[in-house]
Amino acid sequence: MNPEPFSQLDRVIHEKGRLAIMSMLAASPELSFTELRDALGMTDGNLTTHIRALQEEGYVSVAKSYQNNRPLTTCSLTAPGRKAFAEYINLLEQIVRQNKPR
Amino acid sequence: MNPNWAEENLQTIRTLMERSALYRRALAPIMLFVGVVGILAATAGVIFQLDLPLVFGVLWLGAAIVAIAGAFFIIRRQALKDKEPIWSPPTRRVAQTLFPPLTAGMILGVIFTLLPTTGFVDFTLLLPFLWALFYGCALHSAGFFMARGVKWFGWVYIVSASVILCVLFVANPSFDISGHWLMGFFFGVLHLAYGAYLYLTEKRKNAA
Repeated sequence: MNPEPFSQLDRVIHEKGRLAIMSMLAASPELSFTELRDALGMTDGNLTTHIRALQEEGYVSVAKSYQNNRPLTTCSLTAPGRKAFAEYINLLEQIVRQNKPR
Repeated sequence: MNPNWAEENLQTIRTLMERSALYRRALAPIMLFVGVVGILAATAGVIFQLDLPLVFGVLWLGAAIVAIAGAFFIIRRQALKDKEPIWSPPTRRVAQTLFPPLTAGMILGVIFTLLPTTGFVDFTLLLPFLWALFYGCALHSAGFFMARGVKWFGWVYIVSASVILCVLFVANPSFDISGHWLMGFFFGVLHLAYGAYLYLTEKRKNAA
């Protein structure tokens, strides 16, 4: 097996929690913090840590606003985040193809 | 390392993306709309005593068409608002899972409404249970690609239809109730209750 695609996998995305966040955000223009937390079954602290890591990498943007006088935090993928996610999927597909018996 | 990890990761990504898609955000208004259609059809059926199997079938299959058309309109409006394609792969997947049980229910509905009435079985009493069971199975299947609550909502149909069927037919074979009441409960009250639950919980979640 060629180890090349595996070594190219983005280590920031290649983590269960962060991959789940990126997948949810890739399918939706934006999601609120609570929607992500409930859909993924994460704790507030865990989700905050992962989102911060993705934010520092420039993959996710976080917007804070108010709805009915209550704070609303929404997350969305940035253009580099979308590109990195697409590349990650491509590499996974390459690995799957390599592992398929001929 | 499990050699299939990459494939499993891709499958997980696919499932998560499908859960996050368009129809999920339109679910509450769809449920409320379908519930209102169910209540209106049941009220019309009871008031005008539309109890002949053919009339019963036409009324409820018509209500189903109105409900599906309304759901489509709501999803389309949401798609335009969010600038998303309406017929995306996740939507197609959900449609594919809903299609077989709903088609089977519709075919049975048409057959039973066209059969001549016999003295043994009142099809207008049997159809609500059959439709509720098929609909429950459809929701349960679609729930694999939607919010987790949809799967549970499917179980509500399957369990409530089975329990009511047992209570009415087994415990009290001589019961006398209009099929419209049963349809109003299954397709009116249950949808309204789930729609109200989604609406209230989403509002609270978004405000958090």
